[in-house]
Amino acid sequence: MPAVSWPGHAYQKPNQKYTLELSELLKPLAATPQTTAALVVLLLPLLGFLVLALVGKRLPRQGDWLATGLTAVAFILSGWLFTQVWNSATFHSRTTWFSLPGNSLTDFTAGILLDNLTVLMLVIVTFISLLVQLFSVGYMHGDKGYSRYFAFLGLFTFSMLGIVLVDNLLLLFMFWELVGLSSYLLIGFWFQKPAAVAANKKAFLINRIGDVGLLLGLFAFYTYFRTFDLEALRTLIGSGNWQGGNFIATYTLNGQNWLVELGPVFLTVAGLGLFMGCVGKSAQFPLQVWLPDAMQGPTPVSALIHAATMVAAGVYLVARCYAFFTPEALIIIAVVGAVTALIGALVALTQYDIKAVLAFSTISQLGYMVMGMGVGAHDAALFHLSTHAFFKAALFLNSGIIIHAMHRGLHCHHLDHDAQDIRNMGGLRRAMPLTFYTYVIATAALVGLPLFSGFLSKDAILSGSWAWAQTMGGGLYFAVPIVGFMVVLLTAFYMARHMWFIFFGGFRAPFAVQDVRLKAGQEVERVMALPVIILAILSLGIFFSLNPLSFGSSWLMQGISIGKLSTSYILSDELVQAVKLQDAANSTLHIVFGVLSTLLGAAGISWAILKYRNKAREQLQQEEPQGRLARLSQRHFGLNEFYDRTFVQPTLALSHQLYRIDIKIIDYTLNNGSKALVILAKVVAWVDRWVVDGLVWLAGALSKVLGRVGRGLQNGKVQSYYAYSLFGFILLLLYIILF
Amino acid sequence: MDFILSSLIFTPLLAALVVLLLPVHLQKPIKAVTLLGALVQMGLSILLYFRFDGSAFANGQQGYQFVEKLNWIGFSLGNLGRFQIDYFVGVDGVSISMVLLTGIVGVIGVISSWTITKNVKGYFLLYLLLLTSVMGCFLALDFFLFYLFFEFMLLPMYFLIGIWGGPKREYASIKFFIYTLVGSLFILLVMIGLYTSVIDPQATAMQMGLLEQGKAAGTEVLTQVQQMLQRNQISNYNLVRTFSIPAMMEPANFIPNSLLHVLSGTILWDLPLRFIAFLLLFAGFAIKVPSVPVHTWLPDAHVEAPTPISVLLAAILLKVGGYGLIRIVYPIFPDAGAYFAVLVGGLGVLSIIYGAMNALAMKDLKKLIAYSSVSHMGFVLLGLASLTVEGVNGAIYMMFSHGIISAMLFLVVGVIYDRAHDRMIHNFRGLANTMPAYTAFVVIAFFASLGMPGFSGFISELLVLVGGFGAPEATGLLPRWLTVVAVFGLLLSAAYYLWTLQRMFFGKFWIFPELREHASITDLNTREYLMLVPLAVLALLFGIFPHLLLDKISLTVNGFTEMVLLRGQEQLGLIFSTLK
Repeated sequence: MPAVSWPGHAYQKPNQKYTLELSELLKPLAATPQTTAALVVLLLPLLGFLVLALVGKRLPRQGDWLATGLTAVAFILSGWLFTQVWNSATFHSRTTWFSLPGNSLTDFTAGILLDNLTVLMLVIVTFISLLVQLFSVGYMHGDKGYSRYFAFLGLFTFSMLGIVLVDNLLLLFMFWELVGLSSYLLIGFWFQKPAAVAANKKAFLINRIGDVGLLLGLFAFYTYFRTFDLEALRTLIGSGNWQGGNFIATYTLNGQNWLVELGPVFLTVAGLGLFMGCVGKSAQFPLQVWLPDAMQGPTPVSALIHAATMVAAGVYLVARCYAFFTPEALIIIAVVGAVTALIGALVALTQYDIKAVLAFSTISQLGYMVMGMGVGAHDAALFHLSTHAFFKAALFLNSGIIIHAMHRGLHCHHLDHDAQDIRNMGGLRRAMPLTFYTYVIATAALVGLPLFSGFLSKDAILSGSWAWAQTMGGGLYFAVPIVGFMVVLLTAFYMARHMWFIFFGGFRAPFAVQDVRLKAGQEVERVMALPVIILAILSLGIFFSLNPLSFGSSWLMQGISIGKLSTSYILSDELVQAVKLQDAANSTLHIVFGVLSTLLGAAGISWAILKYRNKAREQLQQEEPQGRLARLSQRHFGLNEFYDRTFVQPTLALSHQLYRIDIKIIDYTLNNGSKALVILAKVVAWVDRWVVDGLVWLAGALSKVLGRVGRGLQNGKVQSYYAYSLFGFILLLLYIILF
Repeated sequence: MDFILSSLIFTPLLAALVVLLLPVHLQKPIKAVTLLGALVQMGLSILLYFRFDGSAFANGQQGYQFVEKLNWIGFSLGNLGRFQIDYFVGVDGVSISMVLLTGIVGVIGVISSWTITKNVKGYFLLYLLLLTSVMGCFLALDFFLFYLFFEFMLLPMYFLIGIWGGPKREYASIKFFIYTLVGSLFILLVMIGLYTSVIDPQATAMQMGLLEQGKAAGTEVLTQVQQMLQRNQISNYNLVRTFSIPAMMEPANFIPNSLLHVLSGTILWDLPLRFIAFLLLFAGFAIKVPSVPVHTWLPDAHVEAPTPISVLLAAILLKVGGYGLIRIVYPIFPDAGAYFAVLVGGLGVLSIIYGAMNALAMKDLKKLIAYSSVSHMGFVLLGLASLTVEGVNGAIYMMFSHGIISAMLFLVVGVIYDRAHDRMIHNFRGLANTMPAYTAFVVIAFFASLGMPGFSGFISELLVLVGGFGAPEATGLLPRWLTVVAVFGLLLSAAYYLWTLQRMFFGKFWIFPELREHASITDLNTREYLMLVPLAVLALLFGIFPHLLLDKISLTVNGFTEMVLLRGQEQLGLIFSTLK
């Protein structure tokens, strides 16, 4: 149980020094030209969103030039910021956002933090945003919601940049939610499609499950450290240490001493709360089910949001909060990552939708990144995030080109085949050579063949996980790296299968393959070709490391290592350092890993080629998964149905039952209570009429009758009076005698 | 002394008088006068917002600004002391937010009422009366005055629902009336109990001749009177009992051995009488909040009420409940507030989850939003029960923010109801195709309500949840799991809103065949823009710049939490010492 000594309470441990003053750590920091530029980068896409949302339809070309132009400016500024910051300086400016008075409270601050990680993400996000917007000019041409589309993209870029730039967890959470909103809007961009609307709801809700955890994690740290500011939190955690199994940190706040003593279980759970955010956003097991459905959005959106940037935000979050994870939390993170990598790859084996394969591949790759985070290979995971952003964006944009091409062909021939089903494709190699070659490059990077970017980053993660398993004492821990290697094989297989279905063999749709081209002399619009070419080129390893066979010499990885974090102390410091040493000692193993993963990749590719080389056209066109396992894999292991049965339907049923409580119990009681009251009132009225009033009437009537009798007796005749007195006398006598 | 507060209260009443004098058939002037009255009230409330000094330290009586205090009813009761009711109004950080909200929503409501055709004069007359009584409620510092306005709200509301409402309006209005009336009976009971127990030290000093008539008392005199009171040195003849809320907040003003004195030791049903009084008051205001399980009047009232009345009901009238808890219940009974924190917070969490679950089951869009109100008002209870600085600020922020956002939500429902005379979710599909601008505002309102950052709802939910989560350490009042459960309310609210969007607004356009004949599905008109745009802007403004409101309320809240916690613990100790 966590324990805190609150100011004024007598709970002083000996030998505690109170040197850190928290409010000092949160002092406003003046803006520098760099942070101001970063603010401009952040606000430019927002400006684009506002203008396009309000008057987009009235602008020439519906304002696509404005949105793209603003992003271009943002990219150029980001490039400048990169040169200013990378390996040379960090800039931090901060201001008070709002504050509540009170001794136990700090100001709620807002600020921009520029360090290596920030500028790297900044460049990636603006660059891919720019390319995707360019691509979209061609891809979305003629769409009814053209300006709305660019407006939403602006909103997304704004929110994503916000996540990257802000210096505190509360603001990060806010932008995190905004990213969820823009993702919601973009997945459901074609809102007439019921599937798209179901998908965006699902994406938002499942992300919210993660956000619940994230929010609780934030609260856990805020409750004890009284701030959301990342640097301050890291400093506070850095000032603490483990004593007798508990983590103890001390600081003063407004002059009062605070001693925070937290148990490892609490810290682990709190860290896992933060990690929940990543599980949702980065589509980790068990919340990965939203990502495949999100492919209902326009394909450029899938490239930008659901492959390159937003889904990586979860990994970014883990990196930003790396200081807050205990070794136990890291184990769980590693396992979740490995499981996700495996599940994604297994499901990708049997998909036929061109985007579904890529979506599950994304899940699998995100699993790698998270696994890297879990095993202490913080830098390797971020490295993979960067390389993946390029090659996966290239693949998705390319798939967009192919979908367009198929649509074109099908439309010309008035066919209603599924344009996204790879079973209808085949042999596109000859009709679309440019697409083919860029696809090959990006695929090679994804599979992790030597000389391509994925080779470097994947190997970094794999060797990191091996070193981690060694450090943890081997045994079951080796399952994590072994799963990592297995996924290499699976990845190679499903991508080779994917390529085979699309580009090799004969064309399987019933029209001439050349009809998919834009024109006889041109394969695809230039504005769409250019981004793909650039992204494919950037999938080459040479851009990330001068020695394209060794990740160790990668400039990128060196720039984002833990040592470059502004405060190096982290909760699992010992473990991470040990893993690092172990990894450094594994130098010969590194060569083995490189060779092994290359061999596994080659094996996967050969496996796919051998499997499909001799299949006839009809066999490929009508292929269905054979066997129970394959069908299970195609259905995503039935997870959707399972969740629907166990969570969604019971919740809905329960909500109807609760409404019945309102109607059948509360209102029933009230209504019948008031009815009973009315009946009671009627009874009272009856009693009033017949009993109370009746008694009064009776009294009156009685006296009337008596009066009449009495009057009758007094008739004025002496004989009568004599008879009465005689009668009375006899009665008297009788009384005396008898009693 | 300026009379801005009285002007705020009585401007609508003045307008009502004018409306009363206008002939029935002059519908345009009647509407214009009403609009003018509401506009002036809004202008005054905005002026007050700017003039209110949020940095003036607020604790006890010194915290009220723009105070107006007049003898209203006062006569000697001989041996029983003096009977005294004051016209006593003032504003502090809690009320300033509610005054601003009332001003704004009052005008929006008039614009929304513009299409009323049935008995226009009566409608606007009642509407203005409602504005007066609500504003009076938020400004009164005398319990009797508060109660007067509180009760008076029922009258216009009853008729506005009962005459201008939907098909089941009679049932709904009487249900609303009876529910609230039962609640106010509880309040009345405690009010009388308090009156018999509390004296006004200043007036008592005058009565005793310690002070010249009309002069303000210094602290020494007041302390002297209070000490004499506690030592039983003041004769009954000189005791001036009072309904003043600030006086009731001061334990030293309680007459020794009176029913509700901390040390009275009175027990009823195994509980100290002060606890019973707290529970009665709490029940009275919880009905108004409304909290589960006394919430069932709300969906019916909302469903039957015409759109502008729904707007007013959700945006302002519900706030009287939370406001009463903060203004009256907690400061006067801090001991019981601390003692029953789990009950209050638990009911809050129950409301959050139960309301959201019910919303998920609704087929009627308006009912869905009514239940979402129940869910959101649960946050007010949770934040308040935590008694942390964040939690109470969040509770007040939630009242304000919910006022803005729920107004938007009910207006949005009104838009579709005006066009199709129906609002069943399953009768519509794909409205976004024909009403894109409307759909945009629906999306804004829904996302604002489900706590999207950037809108005011997020700030309030955040503060409440942070406060609740930290309560086990900061105040020791709430168990942590309560807040953890409450966070799932965020998930549920996203679920019912997004599901509604999916079913009603997205997909291919379709509307139930029988509705087609009467429906003309057109996009928003200017009047509707005029209502929705300002509300959306306000929700954004207070979501991005929370200091606009927090700077005004937070010092008062600080004083509130400190006082309630400190006195609560102290008095709890005293109460339990008398029981032994």
